[in-house]
Amino acid sequence: MLVVIQKVGTRLFRVFEELADRFFGPKLNPFYQLGGLAFFFYWIVAASGVYLYIFFETSVTEAYNSVERLTHEQWYLGGVMRSLHRYASDAMVLVVVVHLLREFCRGRFNGVRWFSWVSGVFLLWLMYASGVGGYWLVWDELAQFVAVLTSEWLDWLPIFNMAMARNFLNEAHLSDRFFSLLSFLHIGIPLVFLLVMWIHIQRISQPKSNPVGGLAWRVLLAMVVLSLIKPAISMDPANLDKVVTVVDLDWFYLGVYPLMDSWSYGSVWLLLGGGSFALMLLPLVVRPKRISVAEVELENCNGCERCFVDCPYGAVVMQARTDGLPYEKEAVVDPDQCVGCGICVGACPTATPFRRQGAHVAGIELADFAISELRERTINAAEALSGENKVFVFGCDHGDELNSLKSDSVAVMSLPCIGFLPPSFIDFLISRNYADGVVLTGCRDGNCHHRFGIDWTEQRLTNQRDPGLRQRVSRERLSRLWYGAGHIKQLRKELTAFQEKLKILGPNRVKKNRVSDGDVDGEELRGDL
Amino acid sequence: MTQLLWSDDFCIGVESIDHEHRELIILLNEICQALGGKSGIVKDKLMGELFARISAHFALEEKIMRNHRYDRYQEHKLDHDKLLDELREIMDDHEASGYASAEKLVKALVSWFTLHFKSEDARLHRQLG
Repeated sequence: MLVVIQKVGTRLFRVFEELADRFFGPKLNPFYQLGGLAFFFYWIVAASGVYLYIFFETSVTEAYNSVERLTHEQWYLGGVMRSLHRYASDAMVLVVVVHLLREFCRGRFNGVRWFSWVSGVFLLWLMYASGVGGYWLVWDELAQFVAVLTSEWLDWLPIFNMAMARNFLNEAHLSDRFFSLLSFLHIGIPLVFLLVMWIHIQRISQPKSNPVGGLAWRVLLAMVVLSLIKPAISMDPANLDKVVTVVDLDWFYLGVYPLMDSWSYGSVWLLLGGGSFALMLLPLVVRPKRISVAEVELENCNGCERCFVDCPYGAVVMQARTDGLPYEKEAVVDPDQCVGCGICVGACPTATPFRRQGAHVAGIELADFAISELRERTINAAEALSGENKVFVFGCDHGDELNSLKSDSVAVMSLPCIGFLPPSFIDFLISRNYADGVVLTGCRDGNCHHRFGIDWTEQRLTNQRDPGLRQRVSRERLSRLWYGAGHIKQLRKELTAFQEKLKILGPNRVKKNRVSDGDVDGEELRGDL
Repeated sequence: MTQLLWSDDFCIGVESIDHEHRELIILLNEICQALGGKSGIVKDKLMGELFARISAHFALEEKIMRNHRYDRYQEHKLDHDKLLDELREIMDDHEASGYASAEKLVKALVSWFTLHFKSEDARLHRQLG
């Protein structure tokens, strides 16, 4: 049932993400930076908040007027700040909810991600507490509506016991002191919010806590334009001696208040509290699939740290040597953090098909998919190829299903992540004439399921990241197609075009009488050539 | 038969690097001996082994250079990459013929090592020392 929702959700997201790709391009696509955008909106809210606070009067009688002065007399600056403050807060709710839904669809709530998910539930409460508190301070009719309902709702809990709501009984009861408390809360709660935002990203390596520059200024500009054309304004001043009947709701933050009005407070507690509880239990209820984690082979590891640097999940750490060899460090995998993407293997300098002695080839390997097995399967698939323009297609388990691309001249192999493929495999295939060309495909550019697989692969192929693809390998025999799932037709078209191009390029350096690559190590199966 | 003998000149003062230099020289000598008689497969395996171990060695050396903010890092790394390319050239050109006429090129490898030790690695030693 959950899987169906996730699949449908993923398809929906794909539609919007690809639409956004067309306007923004993969680097600026907001769907790939939702968390960073949330942080960005926070900073806009904080900065505008500081400005507003300078002019805000915290007494009950003067609060409303100070906001009115800012909004109307200082419309060009204070008014813009107020609107920015409101719209960036609303935008934050929007990106946070989309972020939540997206992570849910991608299954990022259990296993190693439980921490981010559960801290995120707390963040929802803090975000709403921050936003709702802000509406109180304006002390207009909307604030009155919100304040009365919120305090009565909170008073439903045994700990408060009707005390808070009494402040709002009538005009005489609301004191300056209580109002000052509210304004301090509106600073204090957002600060706690920021602290938990920081905690939320602690277990993510290289978190995107800022949107890319090009997206950031565009978003800020859009917010400023919105603030100028539709300024945020107050309703009539609050009057506790009257009951508020008509309100101009901000549906982003205050959508639950009509419910509070028509349902009982207990029901709303059940809805919100029960819902939050259910969200937090999700990692326990829906268990992750069994993963083949990475394992370090100390005899092949010299502590070069490439796997440590490349791991997208911080699952590899460097620790002091334990096997007595004269190396300072060794790589250590934390199986609780490892998701089995294999990007570490792609980074390891000893993960190469040229090496074929010993049971273990590389310093770090996936338990279920050793380099020796990758080598064997690659060679077997390639040896079955015939004709000219032989192509080997490497893809990933999260991109399209590749089997329909198979033919006499095309071999395919799906990997946990394209970042798992050591570049020397490409060198191996082409230089030993197993293939005339190699195609790399997988997830959509900017949307790698394992965060950095595509980026690291691209950087390795352009020698900006080690291990690089040796310069001597002709890049014309290499094609990278980062379309993502759902584009098999396009893949097939590109593959055909690539084969045409290879035909024009002509034959590879032909290796006749290739020394057998498929024998068992340590034995001389064939005589001297 | 070419042989590369270990010399204390090759020490750069970092235990892990010196250890790997020693191991690599042993392997190189093994390859030089194998050129004389062993089968093409054995020679190819040894070359593959050399390729993997040199790749790992360079990765470690480069990490150490970065950690020490070594000023000639880019040049030294360029030298490493050139060597790996040359090694791959030798492997590609001679693997099919069982490395029959590879002795000259392997000699070139050996003298590259000696030169690299004496120049780049020795300078590294002075900087790190």
